[in-house]
Amino acid sequence: MLEGRGQKIVVVDNDRTVLELLQIRLEVAGYHAHIVRTGAQALDLLKHLHPAAMILDLRLADTDSFDLLQTIRARHPDQHFPILATGRGLVADDLRRALSAGAQNCLIKPYSGTDAVERVGRLIQACHFPGAHAIELTKPRAVA
Amino acid sequence: MDGSDLSEDSALKATISNTFDVLGWEIELAAARSIYLDSIIGRMIGLLPDERKAEFVESMHTVDLLSQQLTGLSAFTRRMSGEAPDVHAYVHTALEQIPLGALADRMGVALGGVEKDINDGDGAGDLDLF
Repeated sequence: MLEGRGQKIVVVDNDRTVLELLQIRLEVAGYHAHIVRTGAQALDLLKHLHPAAMILDLRLADTDSFDLLQTIRARHPDQHFPILATGRGLVADDLRRALSAGAQNCLIKPYSGTDAVERVGRLIQACHFPGAHAIELTKPRAVA
Repeated sequence: MDGSDLSEDSALKATISNTFDVLGWEIELAAARSIYLDSIIGRMIGLLPDERKAEFVESMHTVDLLSQQLTGLSAFTRRMSGEAPDVHAYVHTALEQIPLGALADRMGVALGGVEKDINDGDGAGDLDLF
C-alpha cells in the first residue's frame, strides 16, 4: 500500500539530480512531488498549493534559505506543513537557525532517497499526531 | 591527459570528495529509476492473468536486485565522499567519456562548471522531470 496517498510535497533544490531523485522516490511512495529550483519559484508555487510537507535545500543559489523559511511561515500562518531542511556542509549553527526559522527537521547531504522519504513520512505523521513528534537531527557526517 | 593542455578556464577541477559526492547522487538517482521500473513491472504483473505472471516475476527480481546493487553502491560512494582526502583532480576529460549529454552536463555543473540561468528552460516553474 502506498504511504503517501497523493499528498503534495514541495521540493526546493538547485540540484537537478537531487530533484529528479526525490521526485521519483516520492511518487513511487505515493506522494505527488512538486519540484522547483529557486526560492522565487517556491513562493510562487505556494500561492496556489497547500502541500503536506516541504523539502528545502538551505544552500539555494538565488536566495537566503533562512529568509525564505521565515517568509514562507509569515505568508502562510494558516498552513502548518512540516519543512525538512537539507544541505551539504551544514554546521550546528545552520541547524539551529533552520529550526528557529520554521523548519521541523534537518537532513544533511549527502543522504539516501530512502532516508528522505521516510523522514517526510514521519514529519507528516507527527504533524497529524503532535504527541508523537520529536525534533531529531541526523548527522550522517561530522558537524563542525 | 591532464589539464595542462587546456586553458585555466576550460580545465575543470574538483575535489575527490566532491567527485564522490556527485557520483553518489547519480548512482542514487539510477537506483531511484530502477525502483520506479520495479514498481511499474509490479503493477503490470498485477494486471496479468495468473498463468502469465511467472514470466515477469523473474524480471521483477532482476530489477529489484539492480535497485539493491545501486543503493549499496550509492551508500558506499557517500561514505567515501566523507573519507576522501582534500585534493583536487581534473574531471573534464572523464566527463567527456559520458555520451549522455544531459548526464555529463548535470555532473559538470555539480562539479563546479558553469550552468545557464536556472530560470531558463526546464529550470523554470514547477518542473516535471520524468
